[in-house]
Amino acid sequence: MRVENLERPVAEGIARAMNAGAGYCDARFFSEDGSETLVLYDGNLEANTASFESGLGVRVLYGGAWGFAATSRASDVSEAFEKALANAKTASMLVSIPLNMGVHPAVTGTYSSPVVQDPFDVPLKEKLAFLEGLDERLKADFVQRRVVFLYLQRMKNWFWNSDGSFIERNLLNCFADSMVMAQDGDGQMQRRSKSLHTPGTGTRGWEMVTDPDLWSGRAEGMKEELSQLLSAPELEYGRRSVILLPGQGHLQVHETIGHPLELDRILGYELSYAGGSFVTLDSFGRLRYGSDKLSVSAFGSVENSPGSFGFDDEGTPERDYLLIDKGILVNCLTSRAMISEANHTAGRQVFEHSGGASRSTAFYKAPIDRMTNVNVLPGNDGNLSDIIAGTDDGILLDNPTSWSIGSNREHFHFGCEIAWEVKGGKITRVLKNPTYQGHTLEFYGKLSAVGDRSTWVVEQVPNCGKGEPNQVMEIGHGVPVMRFDDVITGEEK
Amino acid sequence: MLDETTRDAILKVRDEAAEKGIDALFTMHREKSHLMRIGNNSVSLNTSEDLTRLDVEVINGRREGSYTIMGDITGPESVRKALDVAVEKASVSTPKDYDPISRMVEENAEEMLQYDEALETLDPGEKAVVYREIIEKTGSHLNFSGSWSSGSTEVLLASTKNDNLAWRIGTDQQFTCVLKHPEKKWELASFQTGWQAGEVKAESTIESFNWLLPIYGNPGFRVEPGEYTVLFGSQAVAEIVGMAIGTGMSGRGYEEGMNWTCGRKPGDSILSDKITVIDDPTDMNTFRFGFDMAGMTRNVFPIVEKGRMMNLFYDLATAAKYGRKPTPHSGSASVVVSPGDGPECPMEAVRGMGRVLFIPALHYTHIPNRSKGIFTGSSRFSAVLLENGEMVSPIFSSRITDTFQNVLGNVAVLAPWCTSVNGSSTYDRRMPEAASVPGYMVSTGVKITDSAESF
Repeated sequence: MRVENLERPVAEGIARAMNAGAGYCDARFFSEDGSETLVLYDGNLEANTASFESGLGVRVLYGGAWGFAATSRASDVSEAFEKALANAKTASMLVSIPLNMGVHPAVTGTYSSPVVQDPFDVPLKEKLAFLEGLDERLKADFVQRRVVFLYLQRMKNWFWNSDGSFIERNLLNCFADSMVMAQDGDGQMQRRSKSLHTPGTGTRGWEMVTDPDLWSGRAEGMKEELSQLLSAPELEYGRRSVILLPGQGHLQVHETIGHPLELDRILGYELSYAGGSFVTLDSFGRLRYGSDKLSVSAFGSVENSPGSFGFDDEGTPERDYLLIDKGILVNCLTSRAMISEANHTAGRQVFEHSGGASRSTAFYKAPIDRMTNVNVLPGNDGNLSDIIAGTDDGILLDNPTSWSIGSNREHFHFGCEIAWEVKGGKITRVLKNPTYQGHTLEFYGKLSAVGDRSTWVVEQVPNCGKGEPNQVMEIGHGVPVMRFDDVITGEEK
Repeated sequence: MLDETTRDAILKVRDEAAEKGIDALFTMHREKSHLMRIGNNSVSLNTSEDLTRLDVEVINGRREGSYTIMGDITGPESVRKALDVAVEKASVSTPKDYDPISRMVEENAEEMLQYDEALETLDPGEKAVVYREIIEKTGSHLNFSGSWSSGSTEVLLASTKNDNLAWRIGTDQQFTCVLKHPEKKWELASFQTGWQAGEVKAESTIESFNWLLPIYGNPGFRVEPGEYTVLFGSQAVAEIVGMAIGTGMSGRGYEEGMNWTCGRKPGDSILSDKITVIDDPTDMNTFRFGFDMAGMTRNVFPIVEKGRMMNLFYDLATAAKYGRKPTPHSGSASVVVSPGDGPECPMEAVRGMGRVLFIPALHYTHIPNRSKGIFTGSSRFSAVLLENGEMVSPIFSSRITDTFQNVLGNVAVLAPWCTSVNGSSTYDRRMPEAASVPGYMVSTGVKITDSAESF
């Protein structure tokens, strides 16, 4: 399929759907949805794969219900519109609250991820040489396993809808991880890892992958910390402060702020799979989500992040706004149809605008409400050293090993790679097998310190799963160092 | 079904590659998928996809490369292009420090034992009718969600190592209905599975809801942390056993010291003697699949016998790296857990056991410590406090953090019958997967480590 051959059949398909009584119709064409994955495992190139997908997805709203169809065959473009309309008509057989996309002006625009050097244009040999160089630096006598992982995405897509919108996007993402592992004296495998993060600014091409400050320069530190873990005692059960480095803090935010603030979850559209949310429509403007040190934004004008994409999959431009303002819940992650339903259900205007959070992971998946960039704003409690110095009894935690969250995101349990014990304002020793658990509102209510801009980075999430059919989405979280008090840590014997 | 043009295109390019001495495996995957999603008593999405993918994996000495294409795969040109990319990637690749094992279709296979055209072409309207009946007969004042995925999966494997072809087409469906009380927030769920049209019945879901609805009128019970006897439903049994097998019997994890079974050897007792698990690709409760994704022929494969460790899974890459014999596990296993000798009815099984937690399914399980076999997850749908086999009240969301060795080691009772639990994911490509497990399992001394004040 080629876009120049599609403009007419797409326009005709949209017109046919609207003439048949549809309330809204959109189409997304991916001329390229490409990926490349390279994995070095103990120095062996265990994954050397690439993929290419191309096709058209069509969504039709009819009688207040969605129908969707997709095809990878050029000969089936017209049929995809017919199928989507037929699916919507069938769906409209069972509707209690008709969905409504509202009236929106046409949006025309283009967006391209900021890139200096497209990593797909870098010869494979050069990419491998860089990864092998890092792998070499991960070697040490005591290191039993080494992993270096690179995952690249390039998407070129076009969007049309019945508002008259036309948007072209060229998106590029680079994700990378490295890890060292070894068995400790108890025969348990310990690990330290580092993922590629961004400073939130700059460009996100091959130049980001090779910037040692963002990923690859951590090799020596990882090995040193792994060696300490191998002889470290286990974290003992008890209540204490936890200081989350961004490597852990971003997942805490992702699971217990991002997901519960997706409007489709709040309205109950994820109950059969991902779950619901403890947040209700009455919570906005009223619910104290955390201490007054907690302010959280969506998008956040972050130029370098997988959660920055210009326009969402309904044509809504990115919009920077607060989700939580000084501890009070004020907004959530929204799409056009969901805000329409929320306002209808509440009998008042809870939400004024779409948050531009309607996203689809591929041409063959229908858009749903997703996270974009969900960011904790930097605070005024100094840098990491200042926060440690102000902690009497706590642990400093980095990088998740496990995460398990209650179905309404009301409680959680995390395991981490490493803990540093903090006593009397000083780091005293390394502890292994750290875990902590808590209840979301109580936990954020005990947020007692938020690091300044020097502690803030954008952690990249390449694999957020949600929806049926399931969709894996790329997301960013700008987070500073955060300290929470009186948290249950470790496992009771 | 795959048209002759596509099949011929693959075989033509396969033969060309074989003549050139290229070591390649071609995997064609075609899915016709339909999914209806329900939310707030409405159809929230009704979606169809017809997608064809081609994977080409190439081995060049100790170098490997692969390429996947989804798009118009209608002639030899597109297949040739995919092969060229994979060949190029392999040629530039870095050599491994071991010899990869070539993928080879061991036997010709043509499988369509679980294919039902009526399900492949099921009118989505029939799904809406079933959901409407459930809503109307259970009570439209309640809030219903759900999803019903159905469709067909067709796989064709051909390698340059021989002329064999392995082909399978099958249909599958996975039905979920969740009932949530709009104010009290508790959730009940009903799951159905199968491969034929007509297998999903509204009455079955209505009956399961009506069984629990009276008790859900009672106030919720907050479980204090501690050790409890737990009556697990089949969904929870499949989840726990599946994770235990995945983290305990993986050959790579074992060789590299990561499994909770490390330090044990085949024949050692690792779980309760009530637990027997096999990989049985012929069990009708699973989705039958006679070959794996590397072309190896699948047969019954003992995993755990009466609590004793039997065999580890070695996919081709692991077998090659560690010099082991590969097992047909490049792809999912068909986990079949043998039934026990408990009473038919789960409530009878726990009569006389005092306070018991009935947890039919676990939500969001994860592994905080694989070496120790520690897993954690929380109760969600349809969880109930029982006293001597009588239902007392629904329980609030409660977290289990325990070991596989404890939960599957202290099994008091297993159901005498098995049921199919659909474990298919709709991530990525359609690939049906199901386990056959006892209808319930009673374990003693299960650790509850936290609970919420809500469902």
